[in-house]
Amino acid sequence: MKRILSLIVAAALTGIACSKKAEEAPKAEPGSERTAAAGIYKDGLDELFKHPKLARADALPKGIQWLTNDSDPVFASPNAKKGGTYYTYMDSFPLTLRTVGPDSNGSFRSFLFDNQMDLLHIHPETGNLTPGLATHWATNKEQNTLYLKLDERARWSDGVPVSAYDVAFSLKFYLSKEIVAPWYNTQYGEEYDTITVFDDHTVAIKSVNKRNLQDLVYYATMEIRPRHFHEKLLDKDWVKNTNWMIEPNTGPYQISKIEKGKFVTFARKKDWWAKDLKYFKNRFNTDFTKVTVIRDPNVVFEHFKKGMIDALPLVIPEYWHNKATGEPFDKGYIEKVWFYHQRPQPIYGVYFNQDVEILKDKDVRIGISHALNIDKVLKTVLRGDYVRMETNTLGHGAMDNKTIKGRRFDLAKADAHFKKAGWAERGPDGIRVKNGKRLSLRVTYGYATHADRLVILKEEAKKAGLELTLQKLDGAASFKAMLEKQHEIAYTGWGAQDRMQYWGQYHSDNAHKTQTNNFGNVDDKVLDPWLVAYKDEFDLKKKAELAHKIQQRIHDEAYTVTLWAAPYIRFGHWRWMRFPDPVASMRSKDATTYPFDGDWGGVFWIDEDIKKETQAAMKAGKGFPPVTLIDTRHKRG
Amino acid sequence: MTTLPLDPLTRKKIHRFRSIKRGYYSAIFLAAAILLSFGAELFVNSRALIVRYEGRFHFPTYGSILPGTTFGLDYRYETKYRELKRKFKAEGRGNWVLLPPAPYNAYENDLTEGIYPPTAPDAGSGHWLGTDSTGRDVLARLVYGFRTAIVFSILLLLCNYTIGVTIGCAMGYFGGKFDLFFQRIIEIWANVPFLYIIIIVASIMIPNFFTLMMIMLFFGWIQMTWYMRTATYKQKSREYVLAARAMGASDPYIIFQHIIPNTISIIVTFMPFSISSGVVVLTSLDYLGFGLPAPTPSWGELLRQGTSNLDALWIVSSVVVSMILLLTMVTFVGEAVREAFDPKKHTVYE
Repeated sequence: MKRILSLIVAAALTGIACSKKAEEAPKAEPGSERTAAAGIYKDGLDELFKHPKLARADALPKGIQWLTNDSDPVFASPNAKKGGTYYTYMDSFPLTLRTVGPDSNGSFRSFLFDNQMDLLHIHPETGNLTPGLATHWATNKEQNTLYLKLDERARWSDGVPVSAYDVAFSLKFYLSKEIVAPWYNTQYGEEYDTITVFDDHTVAIKSVNKRNLQDLVYYATMEIRPRHFHEKLLDKDWVKNTNWMIEPNTGPYQISKIEKGKFVTFARKKDWWAKDLKYFKNRFNTDFTKVTVIRDPNVVFEHFKKGMIDALPLVIPEYWHNKATGEPFDKGYIEKVWFYHQRPQPIYGVYFNQDVEILKDKDVRIGISHALNIDKVLKTVLRGDYVRMETNTLGHGAMDNKTIKGRRFDLAKADAHFKKAGWAERGPDGIRVKNGKRLSLRVTYGYATHADRLVILKEEAKKAGLELTLQKLDGAASFKAMLEKQHEIAYTGWGAQDRMQYWGQYHSDNAHKTQTNNFGNVDDKVLDPWLVAYKDEFDLKKKAELAHKIQQRIHDEAYTVTLWAAPYIRFGHWRWMRFPDPVASMRSKDATTYPFDGDWGGVFWIDEDIKKETQAAMKAGKGFPPVTLIDTRHKRG
Repeated sequence: MTTLPLDPLTRKKIHRFRSIKRGYYSAIFLAAAILLSFGAELFVNSRALIVRYEGRFHFPTYGSILPGTTFGLDYRYETKYRELKRKFKAEGRGNWVLLPPAPYNAYENDLTEGIYPPTAPDAGSGHWLGTDSTGRDVLARLVYGFRTAIVFSILLLLCNYTIGVTIGCAMGYFGGKFDLFFQRIIEIWANVPFLYIIIIVASIMIPNFFTLMMIMLFFGWIQMTWYMRTATYKQKSREYVLAARAMGASDPYIIFQHIIPNTISIIVTFMPFSISSGVVVLTSLDYLGFGLPAPTPSWGELLRQGTSNLDALWIVSSVVVSMILLLTMVTFVGEAVREAFDPKKHTVYE
């Protein structure tokens, strides 16, 4: 569930942050619970289980087959050295240290979130489940319940053991009105049926939906909250009172110092309970991680060039090719990494609004598809870094229909299809006309930085006798215009989804009405049943088959033209920052941006010897061989 | 007291204006630049001026596009004249193409594989001022952007002054409740945050040339009213107005025949500054992204590209230099006009 959250950018309309001044974040004072530090916190359990979605049972159902995973390869490097500080940045200071509730949805949240370990993790290479807070897991025959055995060694940062009651409490917590987080209230309310505790470390999470194991873990596991910390605080003032409290966590780091508006420092827990476990050993190496506020991207870059921050993402072509050049790069002080991965990609595409008369005609849509010179954009302004997105998914493994190839710029084919649709004549300006109407369509978009891509498409489309007028609105306004179906052609991007969803964008239930994501007003009776079946299918193989059929149909009918993707991570790092081999994971997030991520975070280390050597060399004006590592092992096409 | 074209006072003013050299030359230069910009298609354009093909002349600059098939090429979209020129030259069959000195228009992306925009100025390729970040010719965008900006501010000025002068005069002339009412209206109007309105409007619709002008006009007419109101009050109490009224002249007659001609110095003095402020406002709106829609050539858009690509110095320097030149010259003109129309030089107050 945590993974879904990170994708959702909720508009924080919940008012102004509490302006309570707290120079030093107060330490959690759990009072009487302190005595429980040695043992499991069991106060008030009867009260807890009065919650309608929580239950207790004595014995596990029969026939449960526990699964675990200790056979996947280790990915952290045995050469990793402990010590040093990792310097990184954030663009603004967090408005709160809570990770739920008003104002908590900022970019800083991942630093806190990631230090709460997940119940189960995903192996960055194999994609299999690996132990987290839970060591063993199982599902039932009905495929709606996830059984978990918690690791008895797991401890909160204040020493209290993690127990099944924490899991149960977490659901109560997310469903409570006191946290002022309506998204959690509804989403978790609709997903979770009950949580049953069998003993101190065994728990069953029952979902409302029938799902395969991976999906069950994805949708029906949540961030576990420390009951001994929150239970007494959970009243109408919870939001206000916990704004600057440091919540006990289970991950490798805890906040050690805060200077409001300036920085947050995390310190490594020297006796972290998971530090020697198979998939966590040799990870989370730096003693400290200091996150400094730097508001302007240009200033961030200058900090990076001076070595004041250790690593910086360089995904944008301009950064990689233009800005990341010059002395620190040429002399090898900063090394560059370009790593192709296979993570789900955001979908950039143009969506034809079929309520517009011209666009009802399939041949017109196909004609336009052939009139968009996407390759030229890729080769020029995108410098050949991005790849063509052939269909409307990329990075979903077996779910991607790899046989589909997007339509290429082809004036002859465009001409043939336009002619078939009756757009044979050309007017004095070279634009096609039919019954006195010009083949002119408006493209609505909301990304100022994409203007250069669009002007190329526009200029090239003229050759096919198609005029595109560009309507740039600001981000929110453009999305609103599209939701209200006021566009003719929508140029937009959908955030990467871990699980592809089609129903919202293509089902006829969402066509011809406002406030839905069906930007094409696709109303296709052939497609409809597949979309419903896909939504409800839990067998992965059948689901993939349906996904392929859906993608094929969308392509055949030319409902959308998908544009481009950047299926890689790219960053620069100072040479004292060392990485295992491979430097990144094909399916996890970038460790330099998400240093605490449970799946792949913390794999790097800071080598103090190399740091001294580099600093001495810089003083002496000496250089090292420049390093640019391009890893194409997972590149497609 | 009317100002006829050749009345001695006017002649004196013109003479005085001419004697202020830098203002005078700036005026000539600016007038020439504006006139030339209306014929920009002849100097900066991807269409050829003249094509001689199989014994026939073609003049593609104005009018419909000539598809490639006109010149025996295999495509139906607009002829690529630069390629055509090379082709004719290579064939050596007596066909020829005459291109404008800067053979690019403001919209086309001149992109070659392997060379990434922006590219530096290069006389060989015809990009006299280099290209911008999508490979469009900076000179072409500068020239057409100038034309847009100057036409925009002249039209805006005419509309602003028509409304402003009329209402201001009426306020001053009629006075009383009419004056009070408009004063309050204007005070309220002047407090509406103009920039926010533009931002709001620009985010819900595409502001085109005319909508943008309408929005600016909505707020721009206020400035002139105050000056005209004061000036009218002053003129109204002068003897010649009283005399005209005694002779039975109507209100409009007095306003248009007597008062406005006598306040013309105010209007004329403000004009150059209004033009420069029009250019500045349009440029800054474009810079912020709330101005004319992409890909309209504009100085503001160039400036934005320039500041985000500081390593491509030719973008930012060409637009900054042009901007400085234009504004300086307009200021010189304004200064000279003010001097020339300075009432202290011509009028004797009794």
